[in-house]
Amino acid sequence: MALDIYLPIAEVSINGPLLVTLGAGVGFISGLFGIGGGFLMTPILVFLGIPPAVAVASLASHVAASSTSSVISYTRARAVDFRMGSVLATGGVLGSVLGVEVFRWIRLIGQADLVVSLSYLIFLGVIGGLMLSESLTTIIRSRRGGPLPSAGDRRSSLLHGLPFKVNFPKSGMHISIIPPIVLGVFVGMLSAIMGVGGGFILVPAMIYLLRMPAAVVVGTSLFQIIITTTLTSVLQAGRNQTVDIVLATLLLVGGVIGAQLGAKASSRFRPEELRAILALIVLAVGLRMGLGLFLTPAEPFILMTGAGG
Amino acid sequence: MIAPGVSTPPAVSAALTTTEVQVTSGFKGARIVLYGAIFDPGQRPSDVVVIVRGPEQPIRIAHKIRIAGLWINSRPVIFQGAPGFYMAASTRPLAQIAGRPVLQRLGAGLDHLAIDAPAEHKVETRYGVKDVVVNRLGFDYPEWRRAVVRLKSRMGLYDEDDHGVVFVDRNLFKAEINLPTDAPIGRYQAQILLFQEGRPVSSRLRHLEVRKVGLQRALYLFAHLHPWTYGLASVSIALAAGWAASAAFRRS
Repeated sequence: MALDIYLPIAEVSINGPLLVTLGAGVGFISGLFGIGGGFLMTPILVFLGIPPAVAVASLASHVAASSTSSVISYTRARAVDFRMGSVLATGGVLGSVLGVEVFRWIRLIGQADLVVSLSYLIFLGVIGGLMLSESLTTIIRSRRGGPLPSAGDRRSSLLHGLPFKVNFPKSGMHISIIPPIVLGVFVGMLSAIMGVGGGFILVPAMIYLLRMPAAVVVGTSLFQIIITTTLTSVLQAGRNQTVDIVLATLLLVGGVIGAQLGAKASSRFRPEELRAILALIVLAVGLRMGLGLFLTPAEPFILMTGAGG
Repeated sequence: MIAPGVSTPPAVSAALTTTEVQVTSGFKGARIVLYGAIFDPGQRPSDVVVIVRGPEQPIRIAHKIRIAGLWINSRPVIFQGAPGFYMAASTRPLAQIAGRPVLQRLGAGLDHLAIDAPAEHKVETRYGVKDVVVNRLGFDYPEWRRAVVRLKSRMGLYDEDDHGVVFVDRNLFKAEINLPTDAPIGRYQAQILLFQEGRPVSSRLRHLEVRKVGLQRALYLFAHLHPWTYGLASVSIALAAGWAASAAFRRS
């Protein structure tokens, strides 16, 4: 193709319009569901032949861009709990620094493939499955006209017994900061290892574990994702020189526009329907990534390039 | 110059159509033609072998093994001395041109490429847990080596062509060097060897430089010389683009 563009850091040639379209598609999903979209983009980029380390690092800035694009809309709608976002991000920063170190070690012993595939299979599989069953139950109940289970009445006593309680007026909660920090660390580590923003874990965890009101969950998760991905992006560039600015820019051109369209489209759907669609996408990606672990490989040997291993 | 005569030793000469390959935004690999001539007043039967080597790149390779139903990577093995690009072209199959020891000494042909996994040999004499691993690799060593060559060939980075050197005229020959898009950046060396009666009688070295130019080079240098500034710049672009898109959509 005449429109192939050579990426200076990835050192591969990829069709430019394809990358822009891909960015727009994932950006749309990002805006629609209030997630970064990294869990979708990373596997696609690796499939296109971009070294995994470059894909993961360059993606962080793409995720930051589309999240910024959509978080502004949520901010205007006053749907961001900045206090909760900051607490989550504090954990996220710790987690991503830790995650980068863990991932370096995993790459050294040559098990990056296994850890990445297993993480996708386990986390996407479990979360996709849980979300799907929950949203389908809600959809069926609302169709039948039965009573909806209220989200707030099953607060775990564990979350209430913890110290360091802080008031989160925006979310209307008075809870300990320990669960959100632990959640942030966990998501930060996963984002460094899986090359994702972590929204697909944050959003359900905020709804089901922290019991935050659904209205502020998406905006707050985006806010936390921007902070961690911005840091990850700078860290990856500074320590590993794996951020490809051309790749990132091509992706984010489409991404920011897609995210706007996605955010607009999201108001046309019922939240439980959105969650059901997202659950199906998450499940499909998780199973696809995990499939490679079970199929007999056509080529028994695998080259680990400097950046990709 | 030595006057032509029966005592004049045979010689080979060659030139590349390009000595610098520029990697630009639209880089899709390159095809370089090598032209050469044989000077042999004796007109003895001659063979030409062209060996092109790219910058050295250690290779990490792992074997997929099945554990508890899952396919996972074995411990990676590192091969040293492997060129990032390798091509051997000849007028006839190499085995017909020269004997095994000669080819091995010259590193001519994929079978004689001087690649090795030195780290695996070092632990061979030791006893204990590591010993088991090394013995296994030692036993399978040719298979690992073949895998390196097979995977690199598939990427277009290693090639051996038995008829890659073609005589276009009585003493004039040509060969093609095809660099794929992901050919490594750096200095390449083309060795042109003239064989007579199974021995190399004359050789020439030519050099080729693959380098990033323009924006590609500027960005690559920026990313490696000022990595933190580069990181801040790329993330600023991202945040600005996100904000700009949002602002643009608010107005519309």
